[in-house]
Amino acid sequence: MIQVDNLYKKIGEVNALDGLSFTASDGQITGLLGPNGAGKTTCLRTVFGLLQADKGHATIDNIDVAKEPTKAKQQLGLFPDPCGLYERMTPREYTQFYAQLSGMEPKAAAAATQTVLEKLQMLDIADRRCKGFSQGQRMKTALAQAIVHKPTNIVLDEPTRGLDVMSTRVLRDLLLMLKAQGHCVLFSSHVMQEVAALCDHVVVMAKGKVVAQGSPQSLCEQTGKTSLEEAFITLIGTDEGIAA
Amino acid sequence: MMKLISILFKKEVLDASRDKRSVMAGLYYCIGAPILMCVLFTVMFKQMASPEALKITIKNAHNAPNLVQFLASKEIEHGEGEEVKAITLEISDDYQVNMTQGKSATVFIIADKSEQKLRASINRLERNLMLYNSEVASLRLVARGIDPTIARAIDVQTHDQATPTSKGGFVLGIATLSIIISLFYAAMGMAIDSSAGERERNSLQLLLSHPISTTHIVLAKVGAIAGFSIIALILTTVVSKFAYNMVPWEMMGFTVIIDFTFIVTAILIGLPIALMSASLLIFISFLAKSFKEAQSYVAMALFIPVMMSMATTYDIATDIMQWMPIAAQQNAMIEIIKGNAIPVTQLLLSSAVTLGLFAIFTYLSSRMLKSEKVVFGL
Repeated sequence: MIQVDNLYKKIGEVNALDGLSFTASDGQITGLLGPNGAGKTTCLRTVFGLLQADKGHATIDNIDVAKEPTKAKQQLGLFPDPCGLYERMTPREYTQFYAQLSGMEPKAAAAATQTVLEKLQMLDIADRRCKGFSQGQRMKTALAQAIVHKPTNIVLDEPTRGLDVMSTRVLRDLLLMLKAQGHCVLFSSHVMQEVAALCDHVVVMAKGKVVAQGSPQSLCEQTGKTSLEEAFITLIGTDEGIAA
Repeated sequence: MMKLISILFKKEVLDASRDKRSVMAGLYYCIGAPILMCVLFTVMFKQMASPEALKITIKNAHNAPNLVQFLASKEIEHGEGEEVKAITLEISDDYQVNMTQGKSATVFIIADKSEQKLRASINRLERNLMLYNSEVASLRLVARGIDPTIARAIDVQTHDQATPTSKGGFVLGIATLSIIISLFYAAMGMAIDSSAGERERNSLQLLLSHPISTTHIVLAKVGAIAGFSIIALILTTVVSKFAYNMVPWEMMGFTVIIDFTFIVTAILIGLPIALMSASLLIFISFLAKSFKEAQSYVAMALFIPVMMSMATTYDIATDIMQWMPIAAQQNAMIEIIKGNAIPVTQLLLSSAVTLGLFAIFTYLSSRMLKSEKVVFGL
């Protein structure tokens, strides 16, 4: 479970987070929806512990990230934007390295890596160095890294960017499977179909604040619109920064 | 904690060893520097040493046949062509007159004394002229019935205690300089790549988002870079060992021999320096905002160890420098090659200071990695 409580963060002169609060529960896929510059990445980085909030706190399984970063991050899988690959390492080495870093023994890490590479259908590129990978291959590698150690909480920052139809479907199935296994999945996106198709709970944010939250359906009902896209535009009051 | 550091360390080694450009740059240094030194030494020795048969220009030789004959017996002769050094010995027109009258006869040495490579030859000519001078003067005194020793108030006798190796102080300085500097320059590219490069490629953010402390990350990086530096040191000394065999040491009357014992002690002395240099390189690279900025900062910062080493080589402020980190360690290496006792107190103290600097730089880097500004290069 990931909880964000009354977060404030000023970056330069901009109030990137302006009293943001929401909860992403276990066994649910929570979508963080907002236009460009709404503060999605800032919010997720605060959850990772990369940024320190000026006020308020973020907790993972009720552990404060700012106070006990190492313990809080133990049960966290990350898919950041940008991916942060090591160009000179292969997906297998990369995934295994992060599996071990998250506390797995070398043998268990190797086995888990093999499983996740199979699941993501990337055995053909598993032992090639990441340099020269396509965007989709990079995303898959980053995804393998995020879920290899089966963390309770998985945070993904715009996970569908650059994925082709096949990979998007793989990702979707994967997220649904994680949900079925009882994981807490939190992802940010500005792609409406993705959010509408996947999320149980949508947090719409703009200018560092939560504008509305609920299931896609309840958001539509709340605004009296038929599609999530229309509902979203009504909620944030502008169509700036929305991908079709 | 050790487990995490070793996982991180293995990743750093794997990643860095595949960085072809940095590895090649390091190799170029390790192989190139000693060979370059040898070429430099060979050229320098050839220029500095006075050739056995010294050919100079002698003007008006017919005025002083005895002097010319004397010089010829010392293998200093008039010559033509390319071998002739730019030294002219001009015998004055009234040389013979003055000589026969028992007066001072004038000879001129015309040469550029600022020219390094002529110095030994000019000294040799002057020395032999003085010798001829005292011989003739003695004869004159004897002719007047006076004991020539009366003109020699003090009889200076110098016992040169220098051993063949100890004579080459400056050359030894340069040779050990190239070994010490290998610890700073060989792994420079790797250090920048693993810190500023990692940040630029955005992999640092992901690394920092994991349940590990920044000290783990910095220690693993420093360990990997220091490891490469030590490999560079070994390579440099081994290449030096073979390359130095080709230098014509006999021309200078001393030799620099790098043996197995020296290589082992150099590794031991180099270890603290390698740790310090790695932590310094990483600290500076994180301090810079970008990869390029890191490159220029590192180049500037490396001036300091080079200056320390230079001071030892040129014997500047030796009393103070012998206690300073890097300088003291280099001094110890020089003493080992000379076959003297190692200045233990100085070496231990400076090694302790070096390790202290390593701790400080590591602490500063790990503290910096907690700052958002540093991580995102703001």
